[in-house]
Amino acid sequence: MRTATLALAAFVLSSVPALAQAPPQKAEAKAVAVPFTLLPSRHMLLEVKINDKGPYKLIFDTGAPMNLLTPRLAKSSGMMKNAKSGGFSLFGGMNQIDIDKLEVGGVVAEKLPSVVMDHPTVKAISDAFEEDFGIIDGIVGFPFFGRYATTVDYQKKELTLKPTDYKPGDYMQDLTKNLLASGDRKNDPKVIGSAGLWGVTFEKETGDAEAGVTVKEVFAKSPAEAAGLKAGDRIVLIDGRWADTIADAYIAASLVKPGREAAIEVKRDGKIVKVKLTPVKGY
Amino acid sequence: MSFLLSVTAAIALAAADPPIKPADRYEIPYRLTDTKHVLVRTKLNGKGPYNFILDTGAPAVFVPKKLAKEIGLKLDSKGWGEFESFEIEGGLKVEKATTRVEDLFQLEGMNGLGLAGVELHGVIGYNVLAKFRITYDFTADKLAWIPLEFDPPPVRAIGGGGQGGLELLGPMMKILAGFMGIKPNFDAKPRGFLGFETDERKDGVFVKAVLADGPAAKAGLKPGDKLTAVGVAPSGSKKKPSMLDIDRPRDLAKAFAEAKAGDEAKIEILRGDKAETVLVPFGKGL
Repeated sequence: MRTATLALAAFVLSSVPALAQAPPQKAEAKAVAVPFTLLPSRHMLLEVKINDKGPYKLIFDTGAPMNLLTPRLAKSSGMMKNAKSGGFSLFGGMNQIDIDKLEVGGVVAEKLPSVVMDHPTVKAISDAFEEDFGIIDGIVGFPFFGRYATTVDYQKKELTLKPTDYKPGDYMQDLTKNLLASGDRKNDPKVIGSAGLWGVTFEKETGDAEAGVTVKEVFAKSPAEAAGLKAGDRIVLIDGRWADTIADAYIAASLVKPGREAAIEVKRDGKIVKVKLTPVKGY
Repeated sequence: MSFLLSVTAAIALAAADPPIKPADRYEIPYRLTDTKHVLVRTKLNGKGPYNFILDTGAPAVFVPKKLAKEIGLKLDSKGWGEFESFEIEGGLKVEKATTRVEDLFQLEGMNGLGLAGVELHGVIGYNVLAKFRITYDFTADKLAWIPLEFDPPPVRAIGGGGQGGLELLGPMMKILAGFMGIKPNFDAKPRGFLGFETDERKDGVFVKAVLADGPAAKAGLKPGDKLTAVGVAPSGSKKKPSMLDIDRPRDLAKAFAEAKAGDEAKIEILRGDKAETVLVPFGKGL
């Protein structure tokens, strides 16, 4: 069994070659509005040029961690030369490529990781609406929109794209790492660390189903003391996030970088009190 | 894999929503999962929180059958239900939100392998997303949701059924998980607490202050100490901890990343020009 496990793991590794990281965006932080068509199935359809060919019609999908092109589109836009080695694939019948150039309403993204495959749902939607909307040839997902501050307005049927410094990375690469790591990893819970030092301890009894966690102790001369937190306070919100369990409170704290002020909402003597806490660097 | 979903059954339409008197703008906390999905948390019918993916590739909110049962959702004959309350973390209550109840192979598969790093409970699609102008900016830690005076037109189902064979992927990934010995654990544990402030300087990482009565203070760590190497001995372990040299602040973060309350930090310091070792048991706190 152990051998089978290792062999499988190796298979996944060899089938998912490393892709080049996307180059940094050219800093031209201008927002560009792009119209989209709303299909009767309520999917967003974008007109996209790939390698200056097209326009092709692709579904804009925030739930897609990767871009997807139909083999038809990959061929006609001359993308198949970019295909990585095939072999065993978790999803079967799938190639990975980098799209050299993808253009949406004048916004150009280069070197976008993508998979090439016939996706049954894309095909079903395409078939259903081909008469009115033309053939649908794939999905635009996270590797594209992750590069922008992307605003979706269904009322105006408009997508607004403003470049940011965020680098979406490559899902397939991460997936492989993730799978391999999870095979080796002990089945321990994930450890969540606060991003900064607060100087406070929390407690919550098992069986306590009320919202929030209780402050047990506030250390002298700490950010928590400076914020005015007191033992017995019931913290319900940290930086806009629910703090219903100790783990939740730590997750919220893990996202407040030292030096940034976080709003904390506390129940004290039956009243809601709002305090501001700025963590410092420390452990 | 993509969440792209379509509704393949006929749909009962919910009554037109009454206009909500909304805030001008909501700051919705989100996290990006390991699978690059945009995750927000919800409380449904007062229960939760549950983890949901924001998905323009889905025509509606989708919840699996088990969750529908857990929150006491009443379904019509077409597999749709209306939440008594649908609250999104960040203070947003969506009135009269409706949902499809359907087991999604994507969620099953990802949860089976633990791919997302968190358990995924459901999907938020068009019927709720369209009520807001939403900005996804991954350099910010919140999403901006601006309510629209807009009643999204209903979803039209498309012909056919199932996902064309894709629905087999969920069970397949579960089997794969078994083969690879993966048993996802979605629990989270707080990191242990030492109670000292750091001073990050060009020539190294120093102790800036120690919290009175904190573990570091009790163990004798002092302001001005320079941290040269640290290691963590897990609770009950007799083995010597492997030491990590501290050159930059991130070395320290790495060394302490997995430490839990009860573990012991071995901290090598320079106090003046004297090298010393301080042992600090991790406590609870942050």
